[in-house]
Amino acid sequence: MLLEVLQGTEAGGFILLQDTVSYSGRHLLKSYISTALKRLHFHNAYSDPLGWTGNSAFTVHQFTLEDVSTLIKQTPQAKAVTLVIDSLSWILRHHDPAAVCQRLQALKKGGAVRTVIVLVHTDMHQRGTVGSIRHLATSVVTVAPGTRGLGAVAKTTRRTKSGKLMQDEETFSINEDLSVTIHSKLSHPGHTHVNTDETEVDPTANLTFNLRLSDTERQAKEKLALPFVFSKEKKSALLQPGPGSGRILYEPDANDDYDQEDPDDDLDI
Amino acid sequence: MAAPSKSVGKSTGDRLSCNTTSFQKKSRSKLVSIPGTRPSVQNGQLIVSTGVTSLDYVIGGGLAVGTLLLIEEDRYDSYSRMLLKYFLAEGVVCGHELYVASAQDHPSDIIQELPSPILDDIASPKPVESQTKPCDPEGPDTMSIAWRYQNLPKVQTALASSSRFGHYYDVSKTMDPEICQAARCHGFYLPEHSATVSSSPAPPPTATGQSPMPEAYVALLKNLQEVIHREGFDGSLPQTKSRNVLRIGLHSLGSALWGDDLCCRDNPSHGHALTTLLYGLRALLRSSLSVALVTVPSHLIQNKALMGRITRLCDTAVALESFRGSERETNPLYKDYHGLLNVCQVPHLNCLVCDLPDNKDLAFKLKRKQFTIERLHLPPDLSETVSRVSHGGLAGAAMLGSSGCGSAGNKHLDF
Repeated sequence: MLLEVLQGTEAGGFILLQDTVSYSGRHLLKSYISTALKRLHFHNAYSDPLGWTGNSAFTVHQFTLEDVSTLIKQTPQAKAVTLVIDSLSWILRHHDPAAVCQRLQALKKGGAVRTVIVLVHTDMHQRGTVGSIRHLATSVVTVAPGTRGLGAVAKTTRRTKSGKLMQDEETFSINEDLSVTIHSKLSHPGHTHVNTDETEVDPTANLTFNLRLSDTERQAKEKLALPFVFSKEKKSALLQPGPGSGRILYEPDANDDYDQEDPDDDLDI
Repeated sequence: MAAPSKSVGKSTGDRLSCNTTSFQKKSRSKLVSIPGTRPSVQNGQLIVSTGVTSLDYVIGGGLAVGTLLLIEEDRYDSYSRMLLKYFLAEGVVCGHELYVASAQDHPSDIIQELPSPILDDIASPKPVESQTKPCDPEGPDTMSIAWRYQNLPKVQTALASSSRFGHYYDVSKTMDPEICQAARCHGFYLPEHSATVSSSPAPPPTATGQSPMPEAYVALLKNLQEVIHREGFDGSLPQTKSRNVLRIGLHSLGSALWGDDLCCRDNPSHGHALTTLLYGLRALLRSSLSVALVTVPSHLIQNKALMGRITRLCDTAVALESFRGSERETNPLYKDYHGLLNVCQVPHLNCLVCDLPDNKDLAFKLKRKQFTIERLHLPPDLSETVSRVSHGGLAGAAMLGSSGCGSAGNKHLDF
């Protein structure tokens, strides 16, 4: 699902790429830029983020919806713009995390850009900050070093507009030409309970008395006529929920002496 | 206050039958009769339905007018959002007025997504358990001796009260636009208000020197107070028009989009902002005919003491934990349910004790026509190695099934 998420261009999407110091997510970001984007406009906010030299290209205070929209309008033929932020962590150093979340939400909904892809280094921030940004994201890709030395592991979580959640875990590696190869899809990491291989001990074994039935005994047991066994029609009639009133159904047994004549007929009162 | 009568023999599975009475207090016409509300049988308070009948049962009959219901959101805010929509939909169907505030989505989008009511609810929807299958003596499930009990559910899991209060909704359809238009709705969308907020001067810090609330909360409270006063919910208008209840839905308070860094930092700079807001909100609710539902993303709040304070400041508090995306999704114990529901707090309004179903392990499932909340029951564990210590806690009980406690099970039964 990693490739689908990286190539997905649904409007209003916000893709969050999380990495740690053990494996950098910038390679994945670069591979995305090289494969998916057609024209790249680069705005350098790294050299002079606070505008100290007076003529910096992009300062960190310009990270608002209005300024980004004006920047986009300045570039010719801008349609279906994807905003790629290499390292939101640098922005989070200068701004309040709540304000950054609000600006990201404004960018997501504003209509100036179609998709926002953001890289965050999770070690640099508190868990609450990363959690808040994750809460805003529609897809989250977490990269970590692979355990078996094959490549890196990417855990992808994707939330569709209807609320459905999809998760996946894949091993990938990035080639020389910055394309991504998926090695294997690890099966969904369900934590299955390891059922220890205990054979069910039969409690009727090893007893001083016999609890089992032999075949003849079992047949005799099944042949036994139980009391209150009714015919099939009567059972189904009783099982249907009736109108609620009680009824008395009388089926005369073999022993019953159901005489239609009133025995008190010969009384002379 | 008349004591509620218990109807004997009515409930098969409920041990406490206090909520399953069909007793309706005969009201002298001094009490206000507002559509969609009724006096509670427990303490006489005027209660409204939350939109989900099982949730009404779990919190003691319904939500009292003038109180605040807190819902702690699940991880991806899917089910808490659904509960908010049920609450608002119930308001539309009962004819109440609505007030929706959100920093994330526009209130009109939320109103358009409300589920449509199932309007033939004179007959209650058929419970799933009692399916009348034709009696088949050869079937594997039929019982030969106890066949009269064949169609009854094996465990009474569904919670219900006998008197119906509240409506059912179909989640797959959205409400008709005509019905939505008929309802009066006030909205508060924070990005629209923040333009006016930033122009007004920031409120001065309080005398104790603590940081003021973020402007968003101040704006919200002011707007709400103005709406309540203007529409006459606090009794300010003369008695010309009939009384109505205002249903307030506040989505995701405390999240970063409201400008509050409660969820972002371990030591938030406005530590008391949300608690002050809830205190002010509760004061507004107590003095007007309104009821509020607030959702808070508690899984993002790092400071647990703060979450405790927030719970104490609300009247009723319910926490949702969904299995989606977590490892519990594949646990066979939870395969029938979508998540766990925990009732953290229930108010004692004008009474010393409140009467609640005493089962604490509740799980919910969102079906198309119903949001059911059921008791989570474990099947009896018959393997030999299980220890027969009875203790609460689902995690402990789930683990007992797979690992043995103490010595290995005796393989020989000796008499």
